[in-house]
Amino acid sequence: MGAHISIPMYQRAIPQRYRLVGQKCVKCGKVNFPPKAVCKYCLSSAEFAPVKLSGRGTVYSYTVIAGGGAPPEFAEIARCKGRYPVALVQLEEGPVIIAQLVDVPEEEEIFIGMPVEAVFRKIYEEEGVIRYGIKFRPA
Amino acid sequence: MSVSVVSYGVYLPYLRLKREEYISAWGSCSAEIKEKTVMDVDEDVLTMAVAAAKDALEHIEAEQVSVLALASTSFPYQEKVMAGTIMEALGLPSDVLATHHGHSTLAGTEALLTACSLLAQAGGKYALVVVSDAPSASTAQDIEHSLGAAACAFVLAKEEPGLVLEGAYGYVSEVMGVRYRQAGERGIRDIGVRSFAAQAYTRAVEAAVTGLLKKLECSSEAYRHVVLHYYDLRTTASLGKRLGFSEEQLKGGLVYERIGDTGACSTLLGLCQTMENISPGDRVLVCAYGAGSGSQAVGFVLEQEKPACKTPLSVLLEKKRYISYTHYLKLKGVI
Ligand SMILES: [Zn+2]
Repeated sequence: MGAHISIPMYQRAIPQRYRLVGQKCVKCGKVNFPPKAVCKYCLSSAEFAPVKLSGRGTVYSYTVIAGGGAPPEFAEIARCKGRYPVALVQLEEGPVIIAQLVDVPEEEEIFIGMPVEAVFRKIYEEEGVIRYGIKFRPA
Repeated sequence: MSVSVVSYGVYLPYLRLKREEYISAWGSCSAEIKEKTVMDVDEDVLTMAVAAAKDALEHIEAEQVSVLALASTSFPYQEKVMAGTIMEALGLPSDVLATHHGHSTLAGTEALLTACSLLAQAGGKYALVVVSDAPSASTAQDIEHSLGAAACAFVLAKEEPGLVLEGAYGYVSEVMGVRYRQAGERGIRDIGVRSFAAQAYTRAVEAAVTGLLKKLECSSEAYRHVVLHYYDLRTTASLGKRLGFSEEQLKGGLVYERIGDTGACSTLLGLCQTMENISPGDRVLVCAYGAGSGSQAVGFVLEQEKPACKTPLSVLLEKKRYISYTHYLKLKGVI
């Protein structure tokens, strides 16, 4: 089951996907990532200031995707790596996002609370177009 | 107007392949490497470029970058403005004056020298030079054994203390069949006549280095570090000697043995390595070479402060995980 994202749709989210640009709610001051129409914290404000997140965070939870579990756009990664870890990362500004973990010495060395930092990597390739985005590595 | 390197960043992929893997798979390793860097399946020249550039910009405001010079022999696209990827990933201003350099291992110094000139034209404070490379060849060819991957990035500024560029000297000549790749091909190849290739290399590097020394009215002893494009241990060492450089001067920038051939990045990685052992007043000479052929020698002097660096090369050399040759072939898409 792939989640096909068209190129124009991917393109619209480039600042968020390439360098973690989120939005700071002008009313409650909380950081929304990914960006929302209405602040998900105070549920009342739609006014935001763009804010570049630091990319630093910790592993909130993680799992390891093995063999057939990978969506088709990640088939290439599954072919090369066999298994690869995916984590919920709690960013230091608050938001929790899902992303792959890379440059991990051993799968067993991943732990909840592990400090990580964002890295710019290829997410997948479709229609001959490389989709870049953020993954995390041990900090 | 003086231009200086005020900060730099280096990136090495986390994965490494040892020499022994070639020996057990092929019976020998044709490259004088102990190990080499290997990109993971989700890395390419642009992702490495972003990583090195991010480190170089650690204490620099991205909004103040007005020039972006990008270099590689192995960009992921043959046609596309790839500065856009870098600009978005780093949050550079969209009015940055951007250039792309490729086509030979000279691309790195080309980018550096172009950025220096453009910085004089551009209004902004900084120029960012990003050199990232991962040359490739068919795994059935000897030339493939040496090929590694790495990136380095330099922030240049006008009239600031740092590693000041003192001058450059270029040389080109027509040499056929040494290291080349026809349009549409993925891998480099050569006609395999080593003595012919070594001669062309020696002639080009010698011309640029002697030209630069003469132009700057410097003797060979004036340089603390000399980084010559690496050909092979014997050829490069004997050329260094012929040019009047001592082993001491030449060893500070040797990185080939633990990284491999990183194409356009090679000599500039050597420059980064010398930054870990340099004092104010020291001079560094770098000479890049591209088969076909051409060479560019660049002279620097350190004025006051060393360029800032977040993670030095010596630290990155220790951050690694070894892979098997089978895994390597999977990454190369062979199996
Ligand atoms: Zn709010």
